Amino acid sequence: MIKRVTAGVVTVALAALGFALPVNAAVRTVSEASCGTASAFCVGLVTDTGKVDDKSFNQSAWEGAKAAAATAGGFSKYIETIDPKDYASNIDLFAAKKYNVIVTVGFLMADATAAAAVKYPTIKFIGVDQFNGSTAGNYSGLIFPEDKAGFLAGYLAGYLTKTKKVGAVLGTDVVPPVKRYGEGFKNGIAYAAKEQNKKIKTTIVYHAPDNAFNDPAWGATTAGQLLGQGYDVIFGAGGKTGNGALGKVAKKKGALCIGVDTDQWLTVPEAQPCLVTSAMKLLANGVSSLVAQAKAGSMKGGNFMGAIGIAPFHALSKVVPAAVAKKVKALTAKVLSGTVKTGVKA
Amino acid sequence: MSQLKSKRNYLLIAVAAVFAYFYHKDGAVTTSVVSTAISFGLPLALAAMVGIMCERTGIVNIGIEGTMLISAFAAFFVASTVKSIIIGLIAAIVVGMLAGFLLALMAVSWRMDQIIAGTIINILATGLTSFLFKQGHTLPSAMPEIDIPVLQNIPFFGPVLFMHGPITYFGLIFIVFLWVALFHTVWGLRTRAVGEHPGSADTAGVSVLRLRYLNVTLAGAVGGIAGAFLSLELVGSFERGFTAGKGFTALALMIFGRWNPLGALAAAMFFGIAQAVTNQLMIDQVVNIPQQFVNMLPYVMTILVLAFAAGKVRPPAAEGQPYEKEQA
Repeated sequence: MIKRVTAGVVTVALAALGFALPVNAAVRTVSEASCGTASAFCVGLVTDTGKVDDKSFNQSAWEGAKAAAATAGGFSKYIETIDPKDYASNIDLFAAKKYNVIVTVGFLMADATAAAAVKYPTIKFIGVDQFNGSTAGNYSGLIFPEDKAGFLAGYLAGYLTKTKKVGAVLGTDVVPPVKRYGEGFKNGIAYAAKEQNKKIKTTIVYHAPDNAFNDPAWGATTAGQLLGQGYDVIFGAGGKTGNGALGKVAKKKGALCIGVDTDQWLTVPEAQPCLVTSAMKLLANGVSSLVAQAKAGSMKGGNFMGAIGIAPFHALSKVVPAAVAKKVKALTAKVLSGTVKTGVKA
Repeated sequence: MSQLKSKRNYLLIAVAAVFAYFYHKDGAVTTSVVSTAISFGLPLALAAMVGIMCERTGIVNIGIEGTMLISAFAAFFVASTVKSIIIGLIAAIVVGMLAGFLLALMAVSWRMDQIIAGTIINILATGLTSFLFKQGHTLPSAMPEIDIPVLQNIPFFGPVLFMHGPITYFGLIFIVFLWVALFHTVWGLRTRAVGEHPGSADTAGVSVLRLRYLNVTLAGAVGGIAGAFLSLELVGSFERGFTAGKGFTALALMIFGRWNPLGALAAAMFFGIAQAVTNQLMIDQVVNIPQQFVNMLPYVMTILVLAFAAGKVRPPAAEGQPYEKEQA
C-alpha cells in the first residue's frame, strides 16, 4: 500500500516537473500587468512551431521585437507555438492582456493573423514572412525578397565550386520564402555558370512539410549524401534542419557551406570551418522598424518590404579570390537595385 | 520452417541483385545512397534494440524517445562543458541507464502501468531538456570518422561499411552481439523465459525482478548510446526535440523485425534505404513528380511492407504485465 502511494506521489511530482519546466522567460523591463494602461507599451511575439532560439529565423525576429520594445521603454514577451492548431489561441493570450503590438512569425500564421487583426482592431499586428492580402489597417506583412539573397549566395557558390556540383538542403517548399531562397540560389548558380562558360550541376533537396524546420539529423545525413556524390558547396536553409546540414559539411575537409537568414557564422559556431557566407534577410531590422512605426502610430496596413544581403566571409575570405569577391560586390549592387533580375516569380 | 528459410534466401539474393544492378549503373551514387541509409538507419536500429531488450523480458518501453533525447542532451552538454567527447559519451550512457532504471523502478517494483511509466520518461525528458537547453555551446572537436585501413578500399563495401564514426561501428557490432546473446546464451534464454512466462522462469530459479531490472537498465545504456550517436556523431550539436520521433519509429521497426535484433536491423536499414532513395530521387530529378509525394515514400513503403511482408507477428506473452509472485 505504501509503495503504491509513493509511486503515485513520485509520478505526479515527476510529471508536474516535466510540464512546469518549459515556461519561457520573459524580458521584464516593465511588468506585464501594466499592459493596456495608457503609458505602457507591450509587444508580444508568437512563433510558428519553430523555436525562438533557432539561431536563425525566429531568433532574429524576437531580437528585433525585443530591441524595439526596449527602445520604447516597453515590455516584450514571446510564446512558442507547439501545435499549429494553437496559432489563434496564442494570439488571443496576448490580446486578452491588452498588448499594443503582436508580432506573428512565419508564413503559416498568415490566416490566423489576418483573422485576429479583424477581431482586435485596436491592436497592431506585424506578420513576419506573411504576404498580407487583407485591407486591415492594423496588420502589416513583413516580407523579403529572399530570391535576391539566394541568388547572390548561388552566384558566389557558382564561382567557388571546384567539382562543379552545388547542392542545397532546405526546409519545405510549401513555405514560399524557403522556395524563393532555393529558386534564387539555383538561378544565381546558373548566372555564374553562364559568366564562366561552365556547366554546374545544381541540386535542391527539400524536407517533407511535416517537422520541416526541426530535423537536424535529416539535414546532416542528406548533406552527407550530397558530399558523398562530390558536391562541394552546400546551402543549408530551414531552421535547425539547415543547421544540421551545415554541421555535417563542416566536418568534410575542403567543402563549403552557406547559411541562411542571419549571419550564421555568429550563431552556429560548429559551422565555422565551412561557412563562407549566409543568405540573409535583415529580420531584426525589419521587425524593430515596424514595431517602432507602430509605437509612433505611423504603421500602415499592407506589406512592408524588408532588406536582404549576404554575410561577410569572415575567416573563409581566404577561399574567396579577390576577383570573385569584387564580382559578388558588384552583382549585389545590381541585384538590390533591380538591374539584374533573379528570374524568380515573387 | 525450411520453406521460410528458402524464401528468405531468395529475398536476400533479390536484394543483392538490385544493389549490384544499381552499382553497375552508377557506383558512386549507389555507394553514397547505401552509406546514407546506414546513417539514417543506425539510430533507429539501436533504439529498436532498446525496445527488444525490454520487451523480451516483459517490459514495454515507450520511453525510448525520451531516453534518447535526454542522453543526446547529456552527451552534448557534458562534452562541450568538460571539452571531452569521451566523457560526453559516458555521460550519455549513465543518463540512459538512469532513465532505464527509473522505468524499471516504476514498472517492476511499483508495478505501474508500463505505458504510463514510459510516457513519464518522455515528458520528463522533453521538459528537462527544453528547460536546461542553452545555446552557444559547441563540441570541443567533431567526432572523428575512422576509416578502417585496407577494408575501406574494397569497392562498395569499403565506403559503405568501413568509413564511419566509432559509434556506428559499435552499433553494428552490438546488434549482432545482442542477437547471439539473446538466442545462444543462458542470459538470453532466461530473458526470453521471463518475457514469455515469468511464473515458470521463477519456478526454475530465475529471479524475474532482478533480470527485469538488469535488462531495462542495460537497455537504457543502449538508448544512451543511440542518443549520443545523434548529438555527437551524426549532427554535432543538440536542439530541442532533437530525436524527432525516432524512438517511436523504432518501436514499429522492432515489431516489423519480430523482436529479433537482426530483423529489426534489417527493418531499420530498409527504412534508411527508403529515406536515402527518396533524397536521391530529388537529387537526380529523374521523374517529375511532386516533392510531397516523394517525401512520403519511406512511410508508404514501410506501411506496404508491414501490411504484406511482415505477416503475423506475436509479441512476448508476458509483455506489459507486472510480475507478482503470489499471483503467478
